[in-house]
Amino acid sequence: MLQVQGFTKRYGRIAALTDVSFSVRDGEVLGLIGPNGSGKTTLFECMGGVLPLDGGALVRDGRPVTARDRASMLFYLPDQIAPWPAQTVRWAIDFAIGLFGGRADLRDRVVEELDVAPLLDATIGSLSKGQRKRALLAIGLLMPHPLLLADEPFDGLDLRQSRDVARTLRSYASAGRTMFLSIHQIRDAGRVCDRFVLLSGGRARGEGTSRELAAMAAARGSSAGDDLEEVFLALT
Amino acid sequence: MHSPSQVAWLLRKETRELIASRAWWVLVLAMGPLVGVTFISAVRTYAEASGLNGTTAGVGEAFSPLIGIWAPTFSACEVAAVFLLPFVAIRVVSGDRQSGALKIEAQHAMSSFLRIGAKAIVLALAWAVASTPAAAAIALWRSYGGSIYPPEVATVALGHFLNAGLTIAIAALAAAVSEHPSTAAILTLSVTVGTWILNFIAAVQGGVWERAASYTPPALVAAFQHGLIRLDVVLVAAILIAACLALAAVWIRIGVAVRRRLRESALCGAIAAAAIFACAFVTPSWDASESRTNSFPEADEAALARIRQPLRIEAHLAPEDPRRVDLDRKAIAKLRRVMPRVEVRYVSATSIGLFEQTTAHYGEIWYELGGRREMVRATTAESMLETIYDLAGVKPPAESDEAVFRGHPLAVPPRGAAAVFYGLWPALVAASALFARRRT
Repeated sequence: MLQVQGFTKRYGRIAALTDVSFSVRDGEVLGLIGPNGSGKTTLFECMGGVLPLDGGALVRDGRPVTARDRASMLFYLPDQIAPWPAQTVRWAIDFAIGLFGGRADLRDRVVEELDVAPLLDATIGSLSKGQRKRALLAIGLLMPHPLLLADEPFDGLDLRQSRDVARTLRSYASAGRTMFLSIHQIRDAGRVCDRFVLLSGGRARGEGTSRELAAMAAARGSSAGDDLEEVFLALT
Repeated sequence: MHSPSQVAWLLRKETRELIASRAWWVLVLAMGPLVGVTFISAVRTYAEASGLNGTTAGVGEAFSPLIGIWAPTFSACEVAAVFLLPFVAIRVVSGDRQSGALKIEAQHAMSSFLRIGAKAIVLALAWAVASTPAAAAIALWRSYGGSIYPPEVATVALGHFLNAGLTIAIAALAAAVSEHPSTAAILTLSVTVGTWILNFIAAVQGGVWERAASYTPPALVAAFQHGLIRLDVVLVAAILIAACLALAAVWIRIGVAVRRRLRESALCGAIAAAAIFACAFVTPSWDASESRTNSFPEADEAALARIRQPLRIEAHLAPEDPRRVDLDRKAIAKLRRVMPRVEVRYVSATSIGLFEQTTAHYGEIWYELGGRREMVRATTAESMLETIYDLAGVKPPAESDEAVFRGHPLAVPPRGAAAVFYGLWPALVAASALFARRRT
């Protein structure tokens, strides 16, 4: 189990994260839910080691995770990036596998599941938002790290693609891969995640399954029932 | 934490990113006409000085290909290194940040030094490829029947390669510390302008400024263009390149707190400063010029090497006085190469010396050796040698005409050069760019 303990991050006077703590269990699909500006991307970037933390630590088995541990433990797939824009999708996938020692054996399967095959010879810079998202998700799934952090994996995808991607992510989770997905569409999150972390205003407002969160909301006097959207509104 | 194949992937990626950048193709394309203009002009002038079209044959240095051909031809590389190469280097380093690739690559356990090193290696190779027109100039010169003295050509090329290395390292650092490529470009050009200002101050103030200015890229290139390899200059350039690349590696670690990066930068800067200070005491140098431009005749060098006592020179000349420039470049620079125990002190009240001419001691050059002093006013190497031999009680070596460099006159126009540099090269580059684009 990986624990996020007291993550704190400030941008000047603005507190992006304040003492955020929760845990990520092995093999689960954990959803990070929060409105725009709640600190989801900042949290992921701090976990991924591409943004320095002001306070807090990532802990595994009671010991702080070093930069070297993190490099072999988790892979963070950022949102809104177009890496190596002049290179083809085919080359980018091969490069990521080659550089990170990824799962070359899964390459064809992932390409097919995410419908990336028609994009292989296109340059990344020429792809639409949704196409780029699928190409990058393919890279993320082919990485060897046991934990994949994906920032807004459904952003830019249409309904059918969202469902296909959700199914694919779940299938890899059931094969033992841990997924931590940042999702601002609560309906999408409800479809794919086992547990949720609710983030609002840079603070963790709750953590648990939808039932546990509903109970938490009810304990606060909410009549939200099992509706995740209502539960989220009640707790944030 | 990384295998050779992972490093190979990184090198392959940097190469592909370079080839995909328009800045690189513009650099390669521009190098042909740039080298062409300087080479054609140099060959024409050389030919005329050699007697082409009925002009009077020239004498002395005009016949040295080092000064007449290679220095001006390779100066095109200096222009490209200052005004074009930085943009290529910035594109390679900033591109990752702009596209978001850095957020992916930074998660690899591979050291950031290795990642910056891969970029530097690819950029250095890119510079070598971009310098192909200079190699074509050498081939053309050979085809005209021109003389080539490989050590001096190699020395000029080495100087420009070090200069390009400095440019790459400075641009990489600027790109690593700034969020946007345009900021990096401004920073890099500011450093270049800063070195020009330093050279100007050195010319006016002399002293420690002069010493510092001798390590700037323009001074480095100038020394190599005269066929002089100074070990201290090579070492300082290497340290500066390593320091800038190390700092760039520190600053591309986006996941590390700024305070820690500042501490590491300060440490890196302190180590580099100490190493550069130590290099200032390194004296060996080699004159690779065929004409021995930077050396006294061999018989004089042997005679001077036998003088063990320290020599003190006190010159009452202002920094901007042309006589001081003559004395420094044509006499003292040569003397330092054979007599390490030379202490030179310049005395002047003003920087230009114009209003000191009537002052009692202005223009005097005092030589002190073994407790004896002698004053002369001439600033030539011959006068200096004569005075030193006199003070040391050494018999001047007999003059020999055999060792005198006679030069290599060549009265041939630059046939075919325009077609190569203005036609063939651009066509080749355009075809290569199209081919590369299709392949990717």
